Amino acid sequence: SFFGFGQSAEIEVYLDGQETRKTAEVKTEDGKKERLLLYYDGETVSGKVNISLKKPGSKLEHQGIKIEFIGQIEMYYDRGNHHEFISLVKELARPGEMIAHTSYPFEFSCVEKPFEVYTGANVRLRYFLRVTIIRRLADIVKEIDIAVHTLSSYPEMNNSIKMEVGIEDCLHIEFEYNKSKYHLKDVIVGKIYFLLVRIKIKHMEIAIIKRETTGSGPNTFTENVTIAKYEIMDGAPVRGESIPIRVFLAGYELTPTMRDINKKFSVRYFLNLVLMDTEDRRYFKQQEITLWRKGDKLRKPNLQSPAIMAGTQNLQNTMQQYQQTEPDEADEDASSKAPVKEDFTRAPANSQSSDRLDKAAMSDPFDHRVSSPTRESPESGIQNMTREAGDGQNDNGNETAE
Amino acid sequence: MPSTPPQISPVEEQEKYLHDALGVVKAQAFHMKRALDKNKLMDALKNASAMLAELRTSLLSPKSYYELYMAITDELRHMELYLVDEFQKGRKVPDLYELVQYAGNIVPRLYLLITVGLVYIKTNTSLRRDLLKDLVEMCRGVQHPLRGLFLRNYLLQCTRNVLPDAPDTDVDCPEGTVKDSIDFVLMNFAEMNKLWVRMQHQGHSRDRHNREREREELRILVGTNLVRLSQLESVTLEKYQKSVLPGILEQVVSCRDAIAQEYLMECVIQVFPDEFHIQTLNPFLKSCAELEAGVNVKNIVISLIERLAAFSQRSDALGSEGVNILQEVQLFEVFSNQVSSIIANREYLPPEDMVALQVALVNLALKCYPDRIDYIDKVMLSSVEVLQRLGLEHLESHTPVAKELQKLLKIPLDNYNSLLMVLKLKHYAGLMQHLDYLGRKALSIYILNNALEHETIIPTAEESEQALTLLNTLVTDKNEHPIGELDMEELAEEQCLLARFIHQLRSNEPDDQYLILTSARKFCHQTITALVKAELAELPLRLFLQGALAIDQIGFENHETVAYEFMSQAFSLYEDEISDSKAQLAAITLIVGSLEQISCFSEENSDPLRTQCALAASKLLKKPDQCRGVATCSHLFWSGKSLASKGEETHDGKHVVECLKKGLRIAKQCMDTSVQVQLFVELLNHYIYFFEKGNDQVDVEILNQLIKKIGDELANLESSDEAEQISKHFSNTLAHLKLRMESPDGDRDVYRGIKLNPDGVVETEKEKVDA
Repeated sequence: SFFGFGQSAEIEVYLDGQETRKTAEVKTEDGKKERLLLYYDGETVSGKVNISLKKPGSKLEHQGIKIEFIGQIEMYYDRGNHHEFISLVKELARPGEMIAHTSYPFEFSCVEKPFEVYTGANVRLRYFLRVTIIRRLADIVKEIDIAVHTLSSYPEMNNSIKMEVGIEDCLHIEFEYNKSKYHLKDVIVGKIYFLLVRIKIKHMEIAIIKRETTGSGPNTFTENVTIAKYEIMDGAPVRGESIPIRVFLAGYELTPTMRDINKKFSVRYFLNLVLMDTEDRRYFKQQEITLWRKGDKLRKPNLQSPAIMAGTQNLQNTMQQYQQTEPDEADEDASSKAPVKEDFTRAPANSQSSDRLDKAAMSDPFDHRVSSPTRESPESGIQNMTREAGDGQNDNGNETAE
Repeated sequence: MPSTPPQISPVEEQEKYLHDALGVVKAQAFHMKRALDKNKLMDALKNASAMLAELRTSLLSPKSYYELYMAITDELRHMELYLVDEFQKGRKVPDLYELVQYAGNIVPRLYLLITVGLVYIKTNTSLRRDLLKDLVEMCRGVQHPLRGLFLRNYLLQCTRNVLPDAPDTDVDCPEGTVKDSIDFVLMNFAEMNKLWVRMQHQGHSRDRHNREREREELRILVGTNLVRLSQLESVTLEKYQKSVLPGILEQVVSCRDAIAQEYLMECVIQVFPDEFHIQTLNPFLKSCAELEAGVNVKNIVISLIERLAAFSQRSDALGSEGVNILQEVQLFEVFSNQVSSIIANREYLPPEDMVALQVALVNLALKCYPDRIDYIDKVMLSSVEVLQRLGLEHLESHTPVAKELQKLLKIPLDNYNSLLMVLKLKHYAGLMQHLDYLGRKALSIYILNNALEHETIIPTAEESEQALTLLNTLVTDKNEHPIGELDMEELAEEQCLLARFIHQLRSNEPDDQYLILTSARKFCHQTITALVKAELAELPLRLFLQGALAIDQIGFENHETVAYEFMSQAFSLYEDEISDSKAQLAAITLIVGSLEQISCFSEENSDPLRTQCALAASKLLKKPDQCRGVATCSHLFWSGKSLASKGEETHDGKHVVECLKKGLRIAKQCMDTSVQVQLFVELLNHYIYFFEKGNDQVDVEILNQLIKKIGDELANLESSDEAEQISKHFSNTLAHLKLRMESPDGDRDVYRGIKLNPDGVVETEKEKVDA
């Protein structure tokens, strides 16, 4: 209230079962994290609104009190326009006067919450309850954010990703990821098999890249963020070498893949296999993976189970197959028999300085420096990447970054 | 001048890098331990990870890296102990195995993974099999040779006490069996070996030497895998045959790296028990044949042979079991065949190595099958074949292959210490022929010394023949001998040895003895001829004469001819080679003396020889020499024997006197009276000798004449030491005569008429004697 005149009130929202309800960490716009009460799609959101008057004894005049349940998408470059995909209103009080602390129960039953909360580089999706005491001059408003997670069931189709890529006469590899769809606490298990190595490789890493696309048409913005960099090989392999991959996803800040959320934005994830040679040239291949959220209850943190080892041994078929079929001949012959199905992308040495392993810190939970993901420069060359149709995964064909 | 940073040497640079890294390690380890004390595991893991990140460096040499590794793994032990402790208290850290895998860099991640994995294994053995598989598989991620080797070494170190070592079972066993351990170590071994081999191909070719040195420093890391396998108690012979050895050999052969192959084969030999080797010779040696050209296969095979030879001796001592194995395995045959195939397959094998392999085979045969001399001969034969195939003849003695061959040839000798055994080797002499002259000579001397030292008696003619054929380098075929390098003393020594050896040729059976000497004779002659060629006249002269004397004593067929040959050789030597007058006299005296003793000549041989002597004597340069020579010759005609005289003394008095008369004539021609008198006295002695022997051509008159003559001349001599001596000699002679005359027994009458000069001296002497 202005200059201390008149009555003022404090609004407090109590959500039913908030003491026991699970919470989730959600990032705010400025990068901080807060813990919010967690709701799922179709769950009732109910509770009480407590309004306390600041000056006991004097009355508060109002034009009515309402509570809204809002789900909205905010574009950072278009602050004025919020896209509300859900907006539910409950009237708590008709216009009148309030003379004492008052408590109003409310309930939004079985609310549809189709999307997950998300805070990205250019876009934010949030759910909140808004209590408004309508007044003539200035409304008294209180907003309470809640977290929403969307749970999925096991995908019916979950093929492995298996592909042979290379640069003619230079580098041929076959890689395999055990699945194309991973839940957020999943483990990526895979294997890289080297068919031909004519470059001096220094190391190899797997990066998890989050690509956020906002807007549409000419106003499309794409932001690539490297969520994790995970070194999977140190040194130079030779032909015939098979390198295991095992990446635990639980430790990274990931969200489920979001496609075309309310026609406003998408968040997709890619596994980027990067090889770096001794002259700091990078060769990489991106593969989209689909992330999904599994109900937490299903996760059994059973450290006694051999599942922690996430059997890389099971993937040995590739290697064995090669060892059996490949005649013991020179590299040339081997490569001619193994047609390159896809090209690596080779980035010029000077264009990726922000991304080099030797300089950039790895995303390492034991290392404080890398708690926030590095932002990838827009020129991270995925141009000229061709994909062969029909290898089973996703349908995003030729991609352009810009 | 532009300022440049101060130059520091590579060594200093290394020290600096290491020092810096160790500094970080120390600091992080300190924080880690503090965090552990406060039970702050996450913080401790962060510190450990930061500490381990130092192992990502590419700046350090293997040596420095090793130091760093040791420092870090030492510190990691604190972490391990803490975790084991916590786990045993039941305070398990959920998902720790997963947790450490979030480390972004692979090197620290895998070190942590191994550390944690070990804790899991120690506290819950039911995870052991799967964890071991997982760890050894995940380590594939480090393909950098140095870092990979050390990482896998850490894996090997950590798991050394937890490898399952139970015999295989049919039921599923999550704790694992020995099979899992074998798979685990073999895989780790193969990967480490690949990394180690890869080091060879990194970097610039000019650094090759350095690289190889560095690889040498690291080889123990690879070899430790084999040690680990050998420490598994459930690795039985069967397991070794079926999985362990084939796994190792497959990797060793396929890596195609000489350094690795050589070291690892050696390792296999050293770390596994002989009981295993002896049953796996064929696969092992077969692999040896497939190794790279640069591999010193010789050393590998030899070291195996030596071990098994030693083993066989031990097992002999143990009893029948080992012997059975030896018989069952046919050690020698297997080695012999495999060695031949190795030699056949490996064209690049230096010849000395081929011979060295034969040396090893011989040693094996001698140790394991001491009674199988045919084995030794087989080796000799195959050596001959090898050398022939290579076209190696007359191996120069300083070359390695010749040295090896020497070694090979000496072994049977050293072992049996019996020339006779060596003679049983049919191919020994043939093999010896591949040495050059010097080599053969040295070996012959060696053989001689051995025979003499051990007093080897050569009892049959056949063997003597063989022995002498073996040694013929010392007597014949000097064509190869380098001109002008002959060392006289050496030669004399050699011949002396040979001569001593001849005495070893003897038999109790006269027939045999005869045959032996027949063969020996030829060699004597050859030997002396050789000496002549060496322009060393006097020695051969004596040898010829002695030879002739010896031959005279031995009544073999046509020994006369041979003796004559020896004598005439002596004469021609005398005529051609001896020029010094004193030496000539000595020589002629020797010849005469020898001839006098020889009785085997018929008249037609002995006459010319005697005449020849007399002639030679009379042609001596100096008169006194002539005189004495001729006088000596006179004895030839008296006491010389021949076939004509049926071995009796000739007693040709006429010739004797002729000789002595000639002596007198010569003496008279001497200008120096003292010399003349001396010669007279000497001649008188000769006369008296023959007189006493009953030569009827020597009568009292001749003696009296001579005594008178001497007496006259003696008076004319100026007194001097010389004269004194002569007169003493003379009076002694007279005293002798007087003694004879007064002797009561025998033919006192013969002396009657001899007029001893009434020289007071003699009388007084005599009286003194009587008194």
